[in-house]
Amino acid sequence: MKTIIALLIKQCKDSLRNLPSLMILIIYPAVAFVMIMAMKGEEGMDNVFVPMFAAMHCSFAPLVISSNILSEEKEKGTLRSLIMAGVSRVKVLISLSVFVLVSVLLTGSAFLLMKEFTVQTAASFAAAMLTGAAVSTLIGLCIGIYSKNVTAANGLAVPVGLVFALLPMLGQFNEGIAKIAKYTYSGQFREVFEGGEFTLNTTLVPAAYFVALSILLLVLFRRKGME
Amino acid sequence: MGDIPENSIISLYNVTRSFGDREVLKGISFEVSRGEIFGLLGPSGAGKTTLINILTGQLSCGGNAEIFGTGCGSIGSGLYRRIGAVLDNCGLYERLSCLDNLRLHARIHAVPFSRIEEALQKVGLAESGNKKVKALSKGMKQRLALARAILHEPKLIFMDEPTSGLDPSTALEIHDLMKELQSKGTTIFLTTHNMDEAYRMCDRIALLSEGEIVELGNPAEICRQHCSSSILNIVTTDGEQMEIDNSPAHAEAVAQLMREGRLKAIHSSEPDLGTVFLKLTGKELDK
Ligand SMILES: Nc1ncnc2c1ncn2[C@@H]1O[C@H](COP(=O)(O)OP(=O)(O)OP(=O)(O)O)[C@@H](O)[C@H]1O
Ligand SMILES: [Mg+2]
Repeated sequence: MKTIIALLIKQCKDSLRNLPSLMILIIYPAVAFVMIMAMKGEEGMDNVFVPMFAAMHCSFAPLVISSNILSEEKEKGTLRSLIMAGVSRVKVLISLSVFVLVSVLLTGSAFLLMKEFTVQTAASFAAAMLTGAAVSTLIGLCIGIYSKNVTAANGLAVPVGLVFALLPMLGQFNEGIAKIAKYTYSGQFREVFEGGEFTLNTTLVPAAYFVALSILLLVLFRRKGME
Repeated sequence: MGDIPENSIISLYNVTRSFGDREVLKGISFEVSRGEIFGLLGPSGAGKTTLINILTGQLSCGGNAEIFGTGCGSIGSGLYRRIGAVLDNCGLYERLSCLDNLRLHARIHAVPFSRIEEALQKVGLAESGNKKVKALSKGMKQRLALARAILHEPKLIFMDEPTSGLDPSTALEIHDLMKELQSKGTTIFLTTHNMDEAYRMCDRIALLSEGEIVELGNPAEICRQHCSSSILNIVTTDGEQMEIDNSPAHAEAVAQLMREGRLKAIHSSEPDLGTVFLKLTGKELDK
């Protein structure tokens, strides 16, 4: 436990000094806020922008940040220095995930101030945000383990993150894309972010992602061992 | 600790390692005992870093490699706490300050923060604690990595070319620190292609060439063995230079020069590890 706390403290200090990753964490809430302010005259803009950017936030940010942190640890040799200090690889992954989830939830909570929520819908909102971020973090970890360095990891993480961030939004304008977007975990959560409740689908689709990605992570971890 | 003698901290038996079909280590065997400073000396590409990676459990190998009587393939966190390492890639967090880098490891090893100041002092970085690592010079990074390696007072320290690229005075400070660690019973395993460093610092050295150990032992003894007949370098008054074996057979020739008053300078060439290495392998050491 003391090791995980040590790693979390390190990660907080490091990320606060890492401008690009800070930007990714606040960009979607910030843009949503600006859009709502800019269109103040029109009714219901918060109902459009909050779900849209919340879905992007919980899919893009955790995915890119987790793959970035992990691949940087590998590239800079810091991961190796941790392992040589007796830190297990699993603890590195756990502390990284905790950090990403907490920071995405904290910055994502800004959405709660931009639109009216009841206690009930706010709770659903937070649950969806957390689950979406968890699935994204799993994808990010897989990419981080698979990639040799930061450049390779970003080359994978950014397009994958964009697919999950943008498909749900594009699905609003195009029937064909909507059919595909239904099968993305981010697309499912969009409905919850719009104020809907969890349904069978909004539970099953992300759950399927979660299980499949956990298995993929395990396989990659076994094969690559984070070297 | 099994059937290995209590004193043996590192033991290698017939260790091999290949990358693809290229055999980089071809059956390495030796032991390092407690409190020794052991040097692995060899030219670039000899396999020094590869061997350190094997000993620290970062690479698998053929044969048998053990530290503290445990196979290097199965070093657990308990054992990692007894070793420290300064590797060629320092593995420091660039955006964090020196202090924050050391605090992380102090927390991991559960050592009091007061040790951090001490460690920084020892490597001469007491003033730079709040500097970010990316603002440090190469030598300072190297010293910070050393501070990190000694923070938890390990029993065994690996150093991969600890002084390469450092200015002579910094290198001397690091040498002093190594001697101090040794006096407290720490075992040090270092690699280098600097023969002076190996000669002055190491109790024993292994000369590594193309994945094989060509000589092993105390550096001074190795030199004595291989350079029993030393060479006299002679310069005559008319500028002629000659090399003569320092043996009775050549006494008359030297005496003749002296009688004729043609002897301008004479000195014996000290046998050094570089000459030994050249003699054994036909290759230069520091190339
Ligand atoms: N991961 C790897 N994959 C393929 N070849 C490797 C790998 N690591 C090392 N080698 C090869 O093994 C040989 C020995 O490398 P090593 O790094 O151990 O040399 P070294 O003695 O440390 O040299 P230097 O003094 O330059 O650090 C080199 O020829 C190198 O190309
Ligand atoms: Mg090397």
